Amino acid sequence: MQSDVKKKILLVDDDIDLLEQNKILLESKGYHVITADSSKQGWELFESEKPDAAIIDLIMEEHDSGFVLSYKIKKDNYGKNIPVIVLTSAAYFTGFKFSASTREEKEWIRCDEIINKPVEADELVKKLESYFALKNS
Amino acid sequence: MDNSHCPKILIVDDEKGLRIGTKRLLEGEGYVVETAENGYDGIKLGTTTEFDLAIIDLKMPDIDGIQVMKEILKVYPDSVCLIATGYASYETAIEAIKFGAFSYIPKPFTPEELFQKLTQGYSRRELIIEKKKWKQEREERLLEVAFEKSRLNTIINSITDGLLVVNKNGEAVLYNPSALKSLGFDQIKIEEYILDKLHPQIADLINKFLSSETCEQKSFSSQVELKANRELIVEATSSPVLNPDGTLAGVVVVLQDITELKKIEFLKSQFVSMVSHELKAPIAAVYGYLKLFSDTSIPLTEEQKMNYLNRSQIRLDGLLKMVNDLLDISRMELKTVNKEIKDVDLPSIIRPIIELFQIDIKKKNISVTIEASEKLPHLKADQDEVSRLFTNLISNSIKYNKTDGSIAVNITASGNYLITEIKDTGIGMKPAERAKLFQEFFRAKNDKTKDISGTGLGLSIVKRIVDSYSGKMEVESEFNIGTSFKIFLPLRYENNNNV
Repeated sequence: MQSDVKKKILLVDDDIDLLEQNKILLESKGYHVITADSSKQGWELFESEKPDAAIIDLIMEEHDSGFVLSYKIKKDNYGKNIPVIVLTSAAYFTGFKFSASTREEKEWIRCDEIINKPVEADELVKKLESYFALKNS
Repeated sequence: MDNSHCPKILIVDDEKGLRIGTKRLLEGEGYVVETAENGYDGIKLGTTTEFDLAIIDLKMPDIDGIQVMKEILKVYPDSVCLIATGYASYETAIEAIKFGAFSYIPKPFTPEELFQKLTQGYSRRELIIEKKKWKQEREERLLEVAFEKSRLNTIINSITDGLLVVNKNGEAVLYNPSALKSLGFDQIKIEEYILDKLHPQIADLINKFLSSETCEQKSFSSQVELKANRELIVEATSSPVLNPDGTLAGVVVVLQDITELKKIEFLKSQFVSMVSHELKAPIAAVYGYLKLFSDTSIPLTEEQKMNYLNRSQIRLDGLLKMVNDLLDISRMELKTVNKEIKDVDLPSIIRPIIELFQIDIKKKNISVTIEASEKLPHLKADQDEVSRLFTNLISNSIKYNKTDGSIAVNITASGNYLITEIKDTGIGMKPAERAKLFQEFFRAKNDKTKDISGTGLGLSIVKRIVDSYSGKMEVESEFNIGTSFKIFLPLRYENNNNV
């Protein structure tokens, strides 16, 4: 971490074990992590905590809960300026490979990145840091 | 003279001497002869029996010989008539022939003259008969062909598979209504080039034969989506139609509707991906903890370690339950469960189940009541299956109940059914959740359920068991108030596995 103040990351996942593991991993990389195990709680935490980034699981209450939450965050005045990453394992069982790499995809999927699970902590950190670096420059 | 058939001859003449003389002469030669002494008798004889030949005198006292001939020919047009005339002249001969006589014979005639005329006449008669026979046979044959053709057409038009035949120029030759329907055409014009109108995949199947020089007797198949969104999927198979010399005459395409099959296949693969996803989640969780343990750069407290081990155990436990449930479902699907049908006393099955859950019941301080009418008839059922059914339902009524809640089990008999109601004061369901209740892996996800573990297969198993006994289920539920399951099980078990 370059800055002295720890970046605050919001983690949203309805699998409390994966939530815990990603929290530990990101904390070990020097982040301050807040967690929510539902979209509803995720949105509440987002509003009250104003995190520097959000990492959201795609399939929670509904199959697209992650997209709905990321859309909401990206529409928010504060939220539109923070990186939002959606995690998915959908590719494994539907064959669909989501991506948000083109402009059109970003039109309807309002998030900065879609990462297939399982996620490597280093990869996640690299992504986050590149977004933070971009914002600072 | 053909001996197998004696020519029958009619002699109509008013001259007695000629009649008798000619008769004797001809009978000596093997002819069968009848005579008439006047015109009317001649008509009578000649129109009741068919004669091969008739020799008719032109001038008779009662009626003209030509008139007699006309009447006979009206009935038997194939009888060969000779007109005998003493006033042989060119005019009468022409007139007689005009009205249908084969020839004429001038009187008096010598036996030689007579035999010559009769031989000619009889050849003519034989020709006529032969021709008639051929004509009749041909008509019969044509009728048969027409019948065969229409029968074949009827069969082709009746089959549910689509059938399309094209010649080697790619022009439509034959099709049936099913093909029309499958291909979505209003009509197909016979002998019109059709390949450019067909789905490219089907055209490809046909072109495999049309474009190749060799015509091997083999078929090509492919699955073609003829209507989008899986509305119509066919298995199209093309085979060559060969000429007798082995060259290609055309191609026949059969279109088999496999839409339903594909639907089932789709549901199955959807189920498989769902299963894989559900199995993957606990594995990923445990795997994640193992990775944390092995990552030396992450310091874990003893408390954390204990917690993670505990969580791993819980997840693996859930995984094991799910695998067991899946195995049960698969056994039920395959119908390999051999039901051991016995008399089952329902209350004595339900009571031990409640005992089994005592710890959980006490933890939540739930009060349980069982009410059963007296002299309840016994069920004919497999004890293990009935026990499994109510274990799942009672386990749910505890899991989804509130602290200090209650569970009321009520068993009654009604008609041919034993009705068991299990009513809880749990979290209940919203109508949308209620609709998905029996879906595999469906679990209502909300704040109230997130800490309750389950496989999402319990009710699916319940439904399968109830169905296998031809029973039924009623569910009533109100969000936040509670849920009531009513299970109707028939008293007698009827094996409907073979249905």
